[in-house]
Amino acid sequence: MSLWDKYGTIQGRLDNVKKLINRDPLGVEFDDIMGRTRGRIGNREIILAGTNNYLGLTFDEDCMIAAKDAIDAHGTGTTGSRVANGTYTEHVELERALADHFKMPSCIVFSTGYQTNLAAISGLTNKDDIIFMDADAHACIIDGTRLSEASTIRFRHNSPEDLDKRMSRIKEKKGEFFVIIEGLYSMFGDIAPIDEFLDVTHKHGGYLYIDEAHSYGVFGETGCGLAEAQGVMDRVDFIAGTFSKSLASIGGFCVSKHPEFEIARKVMRPYLFTASPTPSNVSAALAAVGKINSDYGNELRQNIWDRATQLHKGLADLGYDLCAEPSPVIAARRPNEVICAMEWNWLLENGLYVNLAVPPGTPQSSSLLRISLSAAHTEDDVNQIIGKFAELKDVQPQLMENLMKLAG
Amino acid sequence: MPDHDEIFAKVCELLKPYNPENRPITMQSGIVSDLEVDSVAVFDLVMGLEDHYDVSIPMEMVSDIKTVGELCSAIKQLAEE
Ligand SMILES: Cc1ncc(COP(=O)(O)O)c(C=O)c1O
Repeated sequence: MSLWDKYGTIQGRLDNVKKLINRDPLGVEFDDIMGRTRGRIGNREIILAGTNNYLGLTFDEDCMIAAKDAIDAHGTGTTGSRVANGTYTEHVELERALADHFKMPSCIVFSTGYQTNLAAISGLTNKDDIIFMDADAHACIIDGTRLSEASTIRFRHNSPEDLDKRMSRIKEKKGEFFVIIEGLYSMFGDIAPIDEFLDVTHKHGGYLYIDEAHSYGVFGETGCGLAEAQGVMDRVDFIAGTFSKSLASIGGFCVSKHPEFEIARKVMRPYLFTASPTPSNVSAALAAVGKINSDYGNELRQNIWDRATQLHKGLADLGYDLCAEPSPVIAARRPNEVICAMEWNWLLENGLYVNLAVPPGTPQSSSLLRISLSAAHTEDDVNQIIGKFAELKDVQPQLMENLMKLAG
Repeated sequence: MPDHDEIFAKVCELLKPYNPENRPITMQSGIVSDLEVDSVAVFDLVMGLEDHYDVSIPMEMVSDIKTVGELCSAIKQLAEE
């Protein structure tokens, strides 16, 4: 008996895949990241199409200067939480900029998007409240509900009717109802009908919390996300987001139309007991907020949506089974984990990096080749991506033959 | 009130799509450990049971349930409340 016995199943799964493709698909090491859409492994250049770098701002000149200036001014680390070590001017400026962008009175920034959900969900609910969570919610939302003392009930993905039914089932209510959805869902790339969720949630007297991690920056007239795009932003109680995608940094935020949200700073453990984000991370994100809410942001959005339409059509024409309508996340459903891993590896070895997404990280136990596009991708890049997926179809018989051989 | 056997039959029926190798299901079967249903699929199964019996089975309760028998008992208890 040892500490490691419990990992037998996951180790077996990993060993099986490694036998087939000679690498750990969840541990790809790049020798260089040359820019927003190109990396290098050995001497092979790779098109990056799985980065969530939606607006391509990671190498934006102004964002990089902002980060470097912040290091010069205030150093490399905050060395502690804002409660213990104090707030930097950068934190205040970014919270104000995000609150202004959303036209909401309150904003709190966190050290990652993951911690944002842990903190806000566990801090805003207690044992008398009931959380209703979309069935396809991201792992960090699930973990937030686990950290909360509230009971959590899961409703069918993207179904306001199902939410209504499950809320109606609760006959005695001691506390409040807290409903959690996402904007753009990260795996299938499908979007929530926010207005209908607002109607149902508010009909039952509840609060609606939306994680717009994947939609902030790419949806909406000013890039605020899906709630803005659907014209209902002013009705949403809480909107959370991350710096790690469109904002091209590391950190997270939650805005609220309720000014009372400020008191949560005193109770959210993943805010109180962890170091605040660094001046450089926060300053890069602040510069990115300015870009998102500008004419340049509109240009970037135009490009990413053009690329999404182009790629979706290209892959659909090739006969791939796509999980949703065009969006910056485009996922192709594959028959099973093993075939998916082999295809994913073939793409990587042929110069294209996409995400291999497998259960339980995916809805409906599906195995996916997941692409996240960037505004930095050119029309030619997307043609190359489509070209690789076309070749992948052609080499299918060979891949299957290899698989049979290895399976004995 | 549904009795234990009836609930067991329903659980077996709803487990079918998650048990493609058709492993034998008993009250003692571990849902994840023996039947190898993935952790998200367990919650999908639970939604079906919630609808059939018109009960709410919160996720924190599901996390404590390991065997088919424990799941049946939990449903019976909730249905009687
Ligand atoms: C929906 C969603 N929320 C939150 C996060 C976590 O964000 P971060 O990477 O900033 O921790 C992610 C992905 O990483 C996500 O997909």
